[in-house]
Amino acid sequence: MRTSPPAVQPLGEAGWTVTLGDRVERATHERVLALAERLTATAPAGMLELVPGYATLTVFFDPTVADAEALRIRLGELAATPVPPRESEAAERPVVVLPTRYDGPDLEDVAERAGLTRDQVVDLHSARVYRVYLLGFAPGFAYLGDLDAALVLPRRKEPRPRVPPGSVGIAGAQTGVYPLATPGGWHLLGRTEVRLFDPAREPPALLQPGDRVRFEPIA
Amino acid sequence: MIEVLEAPPFATVQDAGFSAGRSWGLPPGGAMDPYFHTLANRLVGNPPQAPAIEWALGTGVLRLTRKSRIAVVGLARVQLNDRPLAAPAFAFPVQAGTRVRIEPDARHRFSYVAVAGGISVPEVLGSRSTYLPGAFGGFSGRLLRAGDRLGMGKSDTTPALEISVTTTGRPMPPGDLWLRVTRGPQWDRFDQRAREAFFSGRFQLAPASDRMGYRLVGPSIHPRGKATLPSEAACPGAIQIPDGGQPIVLMPDGPTVGGYPKLAVVIQADLRLLAQCLPERGIRFTEVSLEAARACYSPPR
Repeated sequence: MRTSPPAVQPLGEAGWTVTLGDRVERATHERVLALAERLTATAPAGMLELVPGYATLTVFFDPTVADAEALRIRLGELAATPVPPRESEAAERPVVVLPTRYDGPDLEDVAERAGLTRDQVVDLHSARVYRVYLLGFAPGFAYLGDLDAALVLPRRKEPRPRVPPGSVGIAGAQTGVYPLATPGGWHLLGRTEVRLFDPAREPPALLQPGDRVRFEPIA
Repeated sequence: MIEVLEAPPFATVQDAGFSAGRSWGLPPGGAMDPYFHTLANRLVGNPPQAPAIEWALGTGVLRLTRKSRIAVVGLARVQLNDRPLAAPAFAFPVQAGTRVRIEPDARHRFSYVAVAGGISVPEVLGSRSTYLPGAFGGFSGRLLRAGDRLGMGKSDTTPALEISVTTTGRPMPPGDLWLRVTRGPQWDRFDQRAREAFFSGRFQLAPASDRMGYRLVGPSIHPRGKATLPSEAACPGAIQIPDGGQPIVLMPDGPTVGGYPKLAVVIQADLRLLAQCLPERGIRFTEVSLEAARACYSPPR
C-alpha cells in the first residue's frame, strides 16, 4: 500500500494524468477503472473524456469551461481515497469469445523461440481468460493481458508495414487483435473474423477496459 | 458538385475532428491548421467547423458544377480557367464550370479550400473528418483522387463583410520557429542536462512526418532509467522521446496512448504552426506555464 498521494501531472493545458502505480498489474488497473467510474459519476464541469492507461487515468477537459486547478485537486483527492475492491464485479463480466484461426505467419517462429510446438503455443494462448487493460494504438485495439510467461517475447525487430485487420498478435506480456490494417510489430499467431471496431456500431469498439476475453481455436 | 480534375498529392476532407473517442483509441483528428480551416470557412459564410479540403504538397485542379463562392487560405496561387486571379484574394466568386487551379505556396504545408455551403460528406462518429489510418470518414476515408465528385452543401447565407475568427492564430514568423511548450507528465524523468539539450537545441523535421506525428532531428534527449513506461494516454502536441532520443511530436491523427516518456507538450495554440512548418526550418522550444497556455486555448468546437 503506497502512502504518498498519487501524482497528478499535466498532459498539456487541457489534460491531467494521475498515476496510481508504475507497473502492469491487475490491482492497480482495478483502481484506475474505479477512479474513472467515480469521476464519471461526479461529472465535473468541462470534463470531456477519460482515458485509462495500465496504471494511469487521464482526464481531458475544456479549460475555457473547467476550473483546471479544482479538477486537479479533485482528481488527487479521489485517487487517494481507498476504494472497495471491484474484483467480484469484474469477474462477473461475461467473457467475450473470439473464434480464432491459428494460422498466423509468426506461429512457427514463436513456437521455435519459446521452445514449444505450434499446438502448445495455441493451447497456451487460448487457455486463458484475458483482461482488457486499455484501448489505443488504433481505434478499438485492446491491450489484453496477461500472457502466459512462456509466450512472452519482445516485439519483432522489423515491424510489418501492414498487418491485416483481424490479426491476433502477441508482444511482451500482452496479446491483442489488430482492428484495422496498420503497421505493427507484434508476432502474429492467427486471425479472427470478429470486428473489433466498426464505425457504424454503437459503441464502435467491441471491447472496453475491464472486459474479459478468450480466444477459441477454430479449424 | 466539386469535380476533382487533377488531385494534389495529399488532399482530404476535414472538419474540427472527433469530439469523442479517445477512450477507445480514436484520436481527435480534424484540420492540422484549425485557424486556416476556420478562416476559409468564414470567408465563404460557412460555420467555422464546416468540412473543407485540406490541401498539401502540390498543385491540383477542381471544377465546380454550379456557381458558388470559394475560399483558398494558405498563400496559394489560384488560376480560374488558366488565368491568374485579377487581384490576389482569399475568397472569390466562381461561375459554374470554371476550372480552379490551386498551387500552394512553398511557405506552408497545408492550405484549406472551402466552398459556400461546405462539402457534403456523410457524418461518421460525429465528424466529417477523414481518418486515413482507419480508412473512414471524410470522402470515402481516403485521399482525394482525380475523378472524385464531392457534394456541396446548401448555402443561403451571404458572407459577412466583417470576418471574425475566434481560433487563436499567430502569423508564421520568419527565422526559427519558436514553439511554446508546457511540462509533460514525465518531466521528472529528464535531468537538467536532458532538459537543457531540449531547450537549447535546434531541431528540424524529418521526412517521415505526417498527420499522425512529426519526427524531429536534433540533439539526442534521454530520460533517466527505463526508456519506456506502461502505456498511458497521449495527446496531440505531446513530445515523446523514443529509444533513439529523437523527439516525436504527436499530431491530430496520432495514437491516443503510448509507452514513451513525454518530456513536454506543445501548447494547442502553437501546434498549427508546427503543422505548417517545412523541413528546412529550425524548430526551438520555450517553456510556458499551464496558465499561459490556457489563456490562449480555444475549444475545438
